Amino acid sequence: MIFEERQIEKNNFSSRAIILFVIIMLSLLAVLIQVFTLQISGYNDYQIAALKNKNYTVPVQALRGEIFDRNGKVLIKNEPTFDLITQPNLIDDIDSFLDEIQPVIFLSESDKFQYKKLHKEKAFANKELVLKKDLSKKEIARFNVRSFNFKNAFIAKRYRRISEYPNIFSHVLGYTSRTEDAYKSMPEIPRSHWRDAELVYAQGLITGRTGLEEIYEDHLSGIHGERVYEINARGKLVQSLSLIKPSKGSDLYTNLDIEAQKSAAKFLGDRRGAVVAIDLDSGGINVLYSSPTYSINQLSNGMNEDDFQILINDADKPFFNRALQGRYPPASTIKPAIGMYGLSNNIVDWDFEMKDPGFFTLPETGRVFRGWRKGGHGKVNLQKAFLVSSNTYFFSLAYQADIEELSNHLKSLGFGQKVCLDCFDEDQALVPTPEWKYSIMNVGWVKGDTVNIGVGQGYLLVTPMQLANYASLLAKKGIFNKPAIVTQDKLKKPLKIWQDSRFNDSDWNKMHQALLGVIESDYGTARSIRDLKEFEVAGKSGTAELVSLDSKEAYQEVRTSELLRDHSIIIVFGPMPNPKYAVSVVIENGESGGAVAGPVAIEVLKSLINE
Amino acid sequence: MNKHFQKIYFDPYLFFSLLLLSGLGLFFLFSASNADFSIVLKQFVYVVAGFIIMILISQPDPDIFRRTSGLFLIFSFLLLGITYLFGPEINGAQRWVRIGPFSFQSSELLKLAVPIFLANFLFNKKLPIQRNEIFLSLLIIFFCFFIVFRQPDLGTALIIAFSGLFVLFLSGLSWTFMGGSLVLLILSSPFIWNILLQPFQRQRIATFFNQDSDPFGASWNIIQSKVAIGSGGLFGKGFGEGSQTQLNFLPETETDFIFSVIGEEFGFLGVLLLLSIYLFILLRCFYLALNARDRFCRLVIGGLTLTFAANLIINLCMVVGLLPVVGMPLPFISKGGSSLISLFFAFGIIISMSTHKKFLPQ
Repeated sequence: MIFEERQIEKNNFSSRAIILFVIIMLSLLAVLIQVFTLQISGYNDYQIAALKNKNYTVPVQALRGEIFDRNGKVLIKNEPTFDLITQPNLIDDIDSFLDEIQPVIFLSESDKFQYKKLHKEKAFANKELVLKKDLSKKEIARFNVRSFNFKNAFIAKRYRRISEYPNIFSHVLGYTSRTEDAYKSMPEIPRSHWRDAELVYAQGLITGRTGLEEIYEDHLSGIHGERVYEINARGKLVQSLSLIKPSKGSDLYTNLDIEAQKSAAKFLGDRRGAVVAIDLDSGGINVLYSSPTYSINQLSNGMNEDDFQILINDADKPFFNRALQGRYPPASTIKPAIGMYGLSNNIVDWDFEMKDPGFFTLPETGRVFRGWRKGGHGKVNLQKAFLVSSNTYFFSLAYQADIEELSNHLKSLGFGQKVCLDCFDEDQALVPTPEWKYSIMNVGWVKGDTVNIGVGQGYLLVTPMQLANYASLLAKKGIFNKPAIVTQDKLKKPLKIWQDSRFNDSDWNKMHQALLGVIESDYGTARSIRDLKEFEVAGKSGTAELVSLDSKEAYQEVRTSELLRDHSIIIVFGPMPNPKYAVSVVIENGESGGAVAGPVAIEVLKSLINE
Repeated sequence: MNKHFQKIYFDPYLFFSLLLLSGLGLFFLFSASNADFSIVLKQFVYVVAGFIIMILISQPDPDIFRRTSGLFLIFSFLLLGITYLFGPEINGAQRWVRIGPFSFQSSELLKLAVPIFLANFLFNKKLPIQRNEIFLSLLIIFFCFFIVFRQPDLGTALIIAFSGLFVLFLSGLSWTFMGGSLVLLILSSPFIWNILLQPFQRQRIATFFNQDSDPFGASWNIIQSKVAIGSGGLFGKGFGEGSQTQLNFLPETETDFIFSVIGEEFGFLGVLLLLSIYLFILLRCFYLALNARDRFCRLVIGGLTLTFAANLIINLCMVVGLLPVVGMPLPFISKGGSSLISLFFAFGIIISMSTHKKFLPQ
């Protein structure tokens, strides 16, 4: 090659090399700009993305608050036990696992069956499944020696929700159960992480289902903690990075009284019924008992299916909270309310007298409404009508009432509405009105319907809770606190619940006098309980008819069927003259209010007063 | 003879910058391998061997590369044949050949053999290069590309093709020819996509254009790489502190994605330092190419330098998300003996060509 040609070639090479070099520089610059975009401009986003990759937050379960009675005695507590806990996701073959562990920890056939069943249902929901609760020291020692054989099981301290009085407080305290939706309360932790929650309860994540456990769930449940783990790309936990400790739920101080509740349970026995007692100073509910009952300890801590079916299928319906949901005709216990209506509407006064022939005839149709005593009570005024529980007097009074006004009056006394501030699933029962009757039965209101209300029969239905509330109102002359189970400071000041300008103090005094006489006088219908106590008590008993009958002979036929027998009802307050407690008792198919429900009410009162 | 032994052919700029780069590489590898000392030790042996090879290769007069270029290419083909017949299949690809205790990726040899052979073929041709010379060169390039591509190893195949095309370009390929080829390439792209590319390669390219499509599947690598680099920030998270790296969110940390490790643990400043070392090496190589003693050396130094640059840029663009993912190590940093040895080999040739002066004009 000649020199010039070489020079041309060299120049050609140089220019092309420079072109390529410039391309390389531009490419490197592009890379640098991209790296700058990622590391400097996008730093925050990518830093968060990197943290999201590696940080795995799980909730740390908080202990629930405990529940106490009014004397500071514990009603429900967290009881620690040492449990054998398995990790379902690490168990390949349940049967061989159970066979292996059987010699170490004693397992009954039903334990195994129960475990297999839960394993099938819950293995995906929780990382833990308790195989056996409350291990003995011997079992713990045996397991610890062999623990290296069982990588999928460990022993840990776990709590159970335990009540010393699991049966008598079941309806009011309620039970807890495993929940799948606890994540709702902590939206910052993704739902899928809840299966890895650090648990303190053997039952896993639990929530209140009924009673106070449900009503005060937020108060009791506390705040779950958060533990942040570092995980690798395979999702394996590498190390714990941080822990926000859970804060235990607040304790709950109630007005409940263990001794009085025990009395209610003891004296009601195995009869179906309910007892409610209210502290008149505070409105605090001291007793809220429904019978029959069930064990909340069993329900909260895993009840086996057979026992559960027995409860569900029990004809006496133990889950039914009669104190709050039982709808009963108030019978004669309504008479003070009707009397108040008559007085404040000037239909009667304390001096008004009428003749009681033992029945009342409705002028419009000639229909006969009978009293409980054949031949009647002779001449009766209001005072005597309360004492002897004259039906004729109140039939006649109600006959003159305007049903709309009477309904409003009954509602103003707490009927037909929820009266308790913190009761679980309270029923409002029923104060009938013409509109209600028309909408339900498609027939109009007749005067006879109003007459029936005069003696607490017919469509009017009340709950034991409402009766206790009504008894408090009567005892406190209209100025009292709304009933509440839990002590609430802000409610210390009594509220004026009922007042009527035409119903003055002297009326109240006469009313108290009359209701005292029901129990304490020689003529009172509930005088049979007079000698059961050493203090004076006012009240009104009632016998709620389930079947409308014309004669006692006919009733003798009806009562052969137990479920058609009359309900026995009473409301009392005492000790007089400055009452401290009001009690209502309903005993289903108990017959004769004063003699049957009366003693239960008196025993509960005695327990409350003697403290 | 005495004089010949006394003089050691040596380029201090390249030597020390490569020493720095390899040293940093071992340092980064220690972190990228989750502190696996045996991996670092093995790589250290390769680095030492690489330096020895580089120094040895740079001693003889570069004329020897010209004279043996045909033999070298044939030897490379032979090794590829052996790989095809006897090589073990690893992850669905046949790339390795065993020589005693060492495995060698035989395609690495072609990265050297192709540019040297073409430089030898073209250096004494008149300008502009004639059509049959172009045709023959392209045939060789495509043949080499194809056999490596079939292994399959798209990354290396591309680098081999580039290495040949760079030499062809530098030796004076006409612009009109290049324009025509480009049009042809664009027209034939549907054919390349449908017939030549393997399904997984198509998937990678599709992923590149829609990076959010499948975050836990096909897009995982590139997303995690960007998160690693981005979360490094200005100063990085520190040596061994990169969560993306240490907790294995980042894939292939020791090989293809080691740059992301550097980005995560040493931040933008670390990246700047690394890129400036590369830039220095490239600048030095271009200086040497422009000042080479003859056309053959120019072409070889230019070709090898550009191959090195292409290798570097493809890896960088891939891990920062500017190019689809292809298997391509970061030169002098990524784990692996074959690529490292062949790089040192190439630099040995470059040093040989730039340090030997021509005694007699041709």
